[in-house]
Amino acid sequence: MSFAARQQQAEAAWQTFEQPDRLRILVGSATCGRAAGSLEVMQAFADELAKHGLTEAADMVEVGCLGMCYAEVMVEIRGRDGKRVLYQGVEPRHAAALIETQLVRGEVYLPLALAVMTGVDEAVPTFAELPMIKPQVRIVLRNCGIIDPTNIDHYLARGGYQGMTRAFAMGPDQVIEEMKASGLRGRGGAGFPTGVKWGFARNSVADQKYVICNADEGDPGAFMDRSVLEGDPHAVLEGLLIAGYAIGASIGYVYCRAEYPLAIERLQGAITQMHELGFLGGDILGSGFGFEIKIKKGAGAFVCGEETSLMQSIEGKRGMPLSKPPFPAVSGLFGKPTNINNVETLAAVSAIMEKGAAWYAGYGTEKSRGTKTFALAGKISRTGLIEVPMGISLRTIINEIGGGVLDGKQFKAVQTGGPSGGCIPAQFIDLAVDYERLAEVGSIMGSGGMIVIDEESCMVDMARYFLSFTENESCGKCVPCRMGTQHLLRMLTTITEGRGTLEQLDIMRKIGDAMKNASLCGLGQTAANPVLTTLQYFEDEYRAHIVDKKCPAGACRALIRFDIDPARCTGCGACLRACPVAAISGEKKQPHAIDQELCIQCGSCRQACKFAAVLVD
Amino acid sequence: MGSISLTIDGQQVEVEEGATVLQAARKADIVIPTICDHKDLNPYGACRMCIVEIAGVRGFPTSCTTPAAPGMQVVTQSARLTELRNRTLELMFSGHPNSCLVCIHREACEQYRPKVTKAARSTRCGFCANRDECDLRTMALSAGKNELSLPTLYASYNLERDDPFMDRDYNLCVLCGKCWRICEKIHGKPAISIINRGKWARIGTAFDKSHVFSGCTFCGGCIDICPTGTLTDRFARWQGKPEADTPSACILCSEGCSVVAQSKGGQLLAYTMTGFNKEAGLCALGRFGAAQIAASNQRLIRPLVREGEDLIPFDWQGAIAAAAEGLKDCAGGVVLVISAATSREDRFLYVQLAEQLQGRMLLLPAEAGEDDPQVQALAAAVQGGTIRAVIANGNLLPVEMMAKVPFSLIIDCLHSPASSGASVVLPAAVLSESGGTFRTATGAIKQLAVSSQAPGDALPEWRIVCDLAQALGLTGFDFERVEAVTPLVADDPAPAPVSGDPRQNVRDLIPRFRGHLLADVVSALAAFGLPTTPAETSEETTGVGFPILEKREIAPNMHFFKVKAEKVAQFSLPGQFVILMAKETSERSPFTLVDWDAAEGTISLVIEEVGRSSRELASLKAGDRIAHVSGPLGLPLTIENKGTVLLGGGCYGIGAIFPLARALRQAGNRVICAIEASSAYLLYMQKELATACDQLIIATKDGSEGVRGGIQEVLAQVAAQEPVDQFIAVGCTFMMRMVTEISRTLNIPTLVALNPIMVDGTGMCGACRVSVGDKTRFACIDGPIFDGHGVDWDELASRRSAYAREEVQALSQSVDLNALMHQPHAQSHGGGCGCGR
Repeated sequence: MSFAARQQQAEAAWQTFEQPDRLRILVGSATCGRAAGSLEVMQAFADELAKHGLTEAADMVEVGCLGMCYAEVMVEIRGRDGKRVLYQGVEPRHAAALIETQLVRGEVYLPLALAVMTGVDEAVPTFAELPMIKPQVRIVLRNCGIIDPTNIDHYLARGGYQGMTRAFAMGPDQVIEEMKASGLRGRGGAGFPTGVKWGFARNSVADQKYVICNADEGDPGAFMDRSVLEGDPHAVLEGLLIAGYAIGASIGYVYCRAEYPLAIERLQGAITQMHELGFLGGDILGSGFGFEIKIKKGAGAFVCGEETSLMQSIEGKRGMPLSKPPFPAVSGLFGKPTNINNVETLAAVSAIMEKGAAWYAGYGTEKSRGTKTFALAGKISRTGLIEVPMGISLRTIINEIGGGVLDGKQFKAVQTGGPSGGCIPAQFIDLAVDYERLAEVGSIMGSGGMIVIDEESCMVDMARYFLSFTENESCGKCVPCRMGTQHLLRMLTTITEGRGTLEQLDIMRKIGDAMKNASLCGLGQTAANPVLTTLQYFEDEYRAHIVDKKCPAGACRALIRFDIDPARCTGCGACLRACPVAAISGEKKQPHAIDQELCIQCGSCRQACKFAAVLVD
Repeated sequence: MGSISLTIDGQQVEVEEGATVLQAARKADIVIPTICDHKDLNPYGACRMCIVEIAGVRGFPTSCTTPAAPGMQVVTQSARLTELRNRTLELMFSGHPNSCLVCIHREACEQYRPKVTKAARSTRCGFCANRDECDLRTMALSAGKNELSLPTLYASYNLERDDPFMDRDYNLCVLCGKCWRICEKIHGKPAISIINRGKWARIGTAFDKSHVFSGCTFCGGCIDICPTGTLTDRFARWQGKPEADTPSACILCSEGCSVVAQSKGGQLLAYTMTGFNKEAGLCALGRFGAAQIAASNQRLIRPLVREGEDLIPFDWQGAIAAAAEGLKDCAGGVVLVISAATSREDRFLYVQLAEQLQGRMLLLPAEAGEDDPQVQALAAAVQGGTIRAVIANGNLLPVEMMAKVPFSLIIDCLHSPASSGASVVLPAAVLSESGGTFRTATGAIKQLAVSSQAPGDALPEWRIVCDLAQALGLTGFDFERVEAVTPLVADDPAPAPVSGDPRQNVRDLIPRFRGHLLADVVSALAAFGLPTTPAETSEETTGVGFPILEKREIAPNMHFFKVKAEKVAQFSLPGQFVILMAKETSERSPFTLVDWDAAEGTISLVIEEVGRSSRELASLKAGDRIAHVSGPLGLPLTIENKGTVLLGGGCYGIGAIFPLARALRQAGNRVICAIEASSAYLLYMQKELATACDQLIIATKDGSEGVRGGIQEVLAQVAAQEPVDQFIAVGCTFMMRMVTEISRTLNIPTLVALNPIMVDGTGMCGACRVSVGDKTRFACIDGPIFDGHGVDWDELASRRSAYAREEVQALSQSVDLNALMHQPHAQSHGGGCGCGR
């Protein structure tokens, strides 16, 4: 069957799926949805549909993630009138009411309704107009939460694999030119121009070349790649195939961490489908290009996200970085020219090849084109996975998309780039987010972690947290990283415990300098960033810990004490019940008190108190 | 390959294409510091010391991994590079005990400290096996680095001694990776690699098993290449830096591998590989066994002549005469049984001897023993009564057979049943003690060089055979040098090759050398399943001895013991000691009482693991029993109110001053305790001491805690502030010697607790003799506490090191084979996952 015929068939299948008069329930069931209980919700829906005799009449499909983590479990229901309503925070107990209300009575179940997907409704906002969605441009995430990720027809019907056929028509050199023209830069963190990188690998002469998809997403709190792999695996695999075609590689690897079992399952299914449709194997669609994709599971070492370590790991060796040069484009996997791109980059590649470089380059800033996904987390109202055009301001991301700082607290900083990144203080809230601007203020784009920090988060403690991560994840090969992370962590720990010295600030800067300039790989070169940027912008917080023995944010347990303000305490007993160590006592309706000897400074009482009577000092 | 030209520090350098910048710099005699680079290994780039600046290249690339390129402009020295290198070096040293660099007493210590020391883990400079050959230290000192602003992060790994020949102290490791890389280079699949991550990253085997089960072939390459003293040959560990490297060959089997014999003071330390490549690989026996055979306490060192039931030591003249007498009338009835593991010259002379005595010579394969078919045939012939005399150069003849022959002569290096049954025994030099040449199984002829001295009266076999032949009046044996024999040897056959490849598989190691079961001589070989002579079973004593109630390692190498010993506890007084024997067969060793409880019937001790006896004690656990506790011994300290007393304790002395402090304070003194250690991680009992005295002052040699320095600095500081009426020092000889010099200038009455070698502890043996104020005193009954200003410190130091060599060698002779069945480390949480935590 020709590609065009196959695509028509896929479109027909998509039309059936989108047919407005058919009952349909889409359940967001990526790992995030599953963790929130989506599979139990589906079971509850199945039971309810059976009760109403609707099992046959309704389609129930697992889809990927829409990126609205705060609203999981998300269910989209299409009733007989074709109206598609997105519900948030769905639990199994809601299934009966939702089915009864929308599928039987044809009304919107308002308590959980978040948006209508299409059209306008009086009571519920339109999805595209939601403040979280409106500023977003979803290219990488174009299909996530929309299509059935296990159905290649859905992907094909939405333009999938047209990038591949377009690439075959162009020829490899033109594909590379197209990439250069798009301005796409590596989304794994370093931001190297993808087309240029492909050009290096293409120009290497060898009997065998490889392309690798780096799906070893390891930054704490980052889940962009996982969502794409789970919600739209073909977008990544098509990008990998195009990369292979461009550089002349016949074998592609997807190096995915074993902690992503659903992503691996989706990838395996997608690869099988590609074979069935002749998108893999020898002479794909008569192009003369042959390609195979293998999946390699990583054992969960952070350093294996570094490209030379990753290749060592694929070769069966200990994942430790190698010095460059030689660069992978010259001597990479098994000593052959190799090109490595990250998941997000490849998902963008397939979109760029489908719609053209100019379209993609239309988004973003001069040197940072296109869009970038971020895992928005921390002290923010709407946590989630977002995709925004480069150049968008931090303010838009935090205040509009994220809905502002959680509980109306004061915004202090935003941390980007995970353990390799830095903290951007509140004064830069109007910063345009692109590679250059982030670097100017001492942080990095990184792979897309974005953690919002409020006044109650301690910057020293946060630096300590990231160093405890890198100390543990350093492979141990080179001295500055292995020893430097240990010393930084020790010093940060002593500071958060009130035992630090001012001299340590200087020593930490010096260690950070040595790590940055003398470490072997990116892990060590950037591991000191959380310390260096917090020292740059928040030295006063460090000094408060050292000199005043105080944690201004009230977060470092060794330096704080909790007291109950008798004027505000109503004696409700909420704190008393919340205290895990029975340190709080008091008569009913009388002011309570905290026994400082027993208190472990966990802060549970403060969270439990509805009258802000628990004071921290 | 063509050559390329680049500029390094303004100097034009031509190198082969493919060379690294570091190699180019070396070619131009430009020194760039590095610890992980090695000429026989591929670039690795881990230590980051060799960073340079290259025009047009971002950052600071490592010269060891960067290929030289035409026209490259390299700068190897700049203020920025020095700054970064020094910080990296400081980081590296912070993960390695570093008092050898930063101790303020370094120079005095190097002058006075014992030349030979030993310990369990190398926790500090004085107890570092590698101190004279540490590349790390050399690099730091050449960088002018003797101040570190970072605390030492001592990893506290257990000393790994769960394999037959190596002690591995990963607390010293800086992860240069040379060991696993050389292992990979020589063996293809390395037995070791880096395991775990981050701060737990260290060298180890797969699943952290014993090296015996790791595929390790015990070639010793990792030990030879280790720059830090982490990996050591247990036998050679404490013997110091080799004085000579002599190319030679190993004759233990017919492979005749080329070796480099490392020797010191006339003693063989090890046979090592001639190069770091597969072809130069050695087997476990050659690498580790040879030196232990040469140093074995089973060596024959005197000629022995039978008189009735007994073998009597003779001088050479008498012994040769006795042998000649025995062989005199045996012409035609003599059989020589000679091992193939014999030099060509020695074998040639044995052949000449056999011919002139009209006898026969049987040449046995290197690994043969008395069960060899030729020997069995000989035994049958002996029954016929035609054989008048037998000569063998090993344990090659059954004793029953020898008993049936009128005269038997054994020329051998080791005691054996054969030597015990012989008429005359002549002690022979062996291995590196004897020269000549050796023909290998492949027919190659290899030169044997003399690099060590034979023990006692032992002589090379060629010399013995010549002397014997001349005594018998035979001609053609007048050689003065073995080299004179060599040209005469011709057409000697190549010995049969060994089965298997012992260099690749320890299971293929030959079981015997000249008929001796090798595992009897080198007990650790039994770990590979090599046969041993069954030991006579002895009755296991259980339920007797002194139960250990508590045992903890309170600081690296420092073990706290609480032992049930009611009578000792009942009579103990401050300053007294006990003598312990871990097992019935252990040496007696004295330890100061740290505490006691008469009501509970317990005594407490702090035992520093140093040599064999303290290791035996340290290996005991709570619930085990100490075979013997004798005490309390020695004179107690006279407790009286002197005013202000300063107590100084170092090493084991930190614990030992505890009862003195308590008693002196009770007597109304103001008691100041000063304790010293190389670094903070070696301190212990601070809390206990703080409660027992009025003031506790801590001093560390690296300044990591308290005063930077030692007791001597504290003493001077305290004396400057208040009068000190009495000073008492307990610790190592070096410390006590140094502090008494200070206290003498300050006119402070000083007592020291001396620690000479002691045997019985009751004044009988005199081993603990010391000179104090021109008087000879016994530390056990006149001390151990003496006037510090009267002690002859030089004599004490010299007497303490009298058995240094034996003490050091005893460590490799006490291998616990059970421990080779490696258990996961005690500090692991479970061990199953292999994460190392």
